[in-house]
Amino acid sequence: MSNGLTNGDGNLLRSISRGDEAAFLQFYRRYQAPVFRFALQMSGQPEIAEEVTQDVFMVVMGSAKKYDPKRGSITAYLYGVARNFVLRRLEQERCYLTALDDPESEYADIAADDHDALRDLTRNERIESLRKAVLALPPAYREVVVLCDLHELDYAEAAMALDCAIGTVRSRLHRARALLTEKMRAEERCAV
Amino acid sequence: MNENELKLLEGLRCLAADGPREAPSAVEQRLVGELRRQSRARRRNGWLALGMSGAIAAVLAATLWIRTEPVVQKPTMARSQTPAAVKTAPSPIANVTPAPERGAEVAINFYPLPDADELPPMESATIVRVQLPMSSLRLMGLPISEDRAAEFVQADMLLGQDGLARGVRFVE
Repeated sequence: MSNGLTNGDGNLLRSISRGDEAAFLQFYRRYQAPVFRFALQMSGQPEIAEEVTQDVFMVVMGSAKKYDPKRGSITAYLYGVARNFVLRRLEQERCYLTALDDPESEYADIAADDHDALRDLTRNERIESLRKAVLALPPAYREVVVLCDLHELDYAEAAMALDCAIGTVRSRLHRARALLTEKMRAEERCAV
Repeated sequence: MNENELKLLEGLRCLAADGPREAPSAVEQRLVGELRRQSRARRRNGWLALGMSGAIAAVLAATLWIRTEPVVQKPTMARSQTPAAVKTAPSPIANVTPAPERGAEVAINFYPLPDADELPPMESATIVRVQLPMSSLRLMGLPISEDRAAEFVQADMLLGQDGLARGVRFVE
């Protein structure tokens, strides 16, 4: 996803605000993939990802001319909107592991529970295991991992999307990586 | 960065490349359908707003037509009764189309209001029928008895193109 608001984006948003279907489709096809993947990686559920993607572009459709480029890039704006919808859906469905909301909770115990399943790890299984580990992170840590490590946003972009300070992003990412590393090491110990 | 962290980052890179890359096409179809629905609603609302504006304008025009009449210039009466009024009545009122005669009403010429001379020249005029207290006749220098000062008298206000009053005449 390109960062910032290009002239093309600005023109598209203006056209979208006038109800231009071709402009909307062009904008949607440019940005739907990262929005969808972000929602999927945050929720782990394709249904939620679909609905969130739809909701994000409904917001664009309804308030395209309200977007202010001075407040952040279009990328950060879309991620921010998507993040709000994801968190709302997760809150509604309670589908994430609330027991892990506290970063200091017994994260390693979850790894121990997966002992048998992770005994014979293949590459795909490691990816799947990592996916589960990311999904098991508390949302505040999960979102920085998804944005910075999976979507390769820099700290400033992620901070804009999450509406927090750059230092907060940095510290959360550091902590999230430490949790994931701990989880992976625990899996390796189990595999041995 | 130690070995475990490197493994983690490698795993995250693999994870980023894994899984579906795009939203299902059904999402696009639903959004396009919604966009079309909104466009139809916007067009419908536009026509509705236009119709409402037209209706309001028609009501306002009808109200003004009922409540106003164009300026009537009766120089002979003005000369015979109030010569000063003829002098002070703004000349552009001659451009206004004459009004139909009203039955028993006798309208004299307009008296200029105080400071009316300082207003810009009148290019078009509107007359509004109002009721004024008799005491206001004193402003025109007319003698009014104290007994009738509280009574009301019908009058026509002469308004310029800017809506400011230039003169007044009393309807007997």
